Amino acid sequence: MAEIQLVYDYLVVGALLFGIGLVGFLARRNMIVMFLAAEMMLQGVSVSLVAWGRLHNHWGGQMLVLFILTVAACEAGIALALVLSLYHRSGRLDIAFWQTLREANQPAFVDQELPDEAHPKPTWPELPPSGIEPRVDDEILVEREHRIHV
Amino acid sequence: MIDDPVVASDLGAQWPYALATLLFAAGMWLLLPRGRRGGRRLGAGLAAAGLALLVLLVHFGLTIHDRPPRSVEFTVPFPALGSWAHDGVFLILAVLTVGSAICSVTFRSPVYCAIWFAMTLLGTAGLFFYQGSQFLGVATIVVYAGAILVTFLFVLMLAQPEGHAFYDRVSWEGPLAACAGAVMVGLLTMTFAAAFAPNTEQQGSPPRYGWLEPAIAAEAPAARNENILATEHVASLGRTLFSTHLIAVEVAGTLLLVALVGAIAIIAHSQKTDASSITNEPAALRPRSTGGAHG
Repeated sequence: MAEIQLVYDYLVVGALLFGIGLVGFLARRNMIVMFLAAEMMLQGVSVSLVAWGRLHNHWGGQMLVLFILTVAACEAGIALALVLSLYHRSGRLDIAFWQTLREANQPAFVDQELPDEAHPKPTWPELPPSGIEPRVDDEILVEREHRIHV
Repeated sequence: MIDDPVVASDLGAQWPYALATLLFAAGMWLLLPRGRRGGRRLGAGLAAAGLALLVLLVHFGLTIHDRPPRSVEFTVPFPALGSWAHDGVFLILAVLTVGSAICSVTFRSPVYCAIWFAMTLLGTAGLFFYQGSQFLGVATIVVYAGAILVTFLFVLMLAQPEGHAFYDRVSWEGPLAACAGAVMVGLLTMTFAAAFAPNTEQQGSPPRYGWLEPAIAAEAPAARNENILATEHVASLGRTLFSTHLIAVEVAGTLLLVALVGAIAIIAHSQKTDASSITNEPAALRPRSTGGAHG
């Protein structure tokens, strides 16, 4: 019974995808990333549905996944339109900007100071000089100087 | 169903699954952006350990009993798939899918999140192929990775061209979110384990499979592969789609049209209200108009 073990594995993979998507949707603050996480939950459900359809030898699972795809496409269009209009109003993709929509008895979420991100200096490769240095006209040199200083 | 003592004891013996999901959740919490550096390697290690334990439990049938003298035993070594190749293909696909899903949720830069999500989609498409649903695999790549994800990237480029923002480096309630995920995954895997646990008490040759046994036994093994794994896969899929589910197809088409019109209406509406409400106040202090735009 190869299908049994396969279905079991697939269900666990689907559960993991759903759980990871849940964590991402609850924890992340970027609206786009939240939306990616929601899509990931849909993917988890799709994996489980395909597995069940395989187990019962029935097209129903794959049909449902097809319609999930359709609904996900609609949802993506509308949600991205909403995200864009929210972005037009707030100027950022932060969902915490809209926390005025919370219930009246909930405390406000206050951002704490973040340590600065460490920007490591880029290191460029150094090429060893080789060959003969080409002769350069004086006019071109003057032009280069000009470009560098402007 | 839970009143059944066998089932209840099954659920009670599932603590390794709880351990695996707890490890996994701790790793997820450490991996999520927390506003400070450090701890990510430990988080990656914990999440990998949880996943590895889950693979051992689920895929290789590792069970841990209290009663027998040996505490760890492989009751059903590789119960399903004979060849290592099949095993390896599935494991690679599953690890690819789940690992890139973790990356896409925990990376700071939203562009990386989107790209790792594309990787998840490729893994899912591979899993679909492996189950014999070829059309869905192709459709996932075309529709999700080709259309939806590119739209995401477009919006990201429009809205956040500078890359990192401070709100990408912190998260809401990381521990609580990780706990919610752990509860979800733990309950699901424990239920699956109880449902799929081979009944080893009877030594009969066909093993019984927990709660699922009646559903499995009802079908003849020979007839099992003739539908989904048919050679004319897309033809029979389309036949089913346009006969049994014809009304649903029509409804889905209508839904697509409505979503298109709705998206355009939302964008047009928001631009109209923006133009009418430009003031010198900062955006946070400005009262947001929720009604329709007048004039």
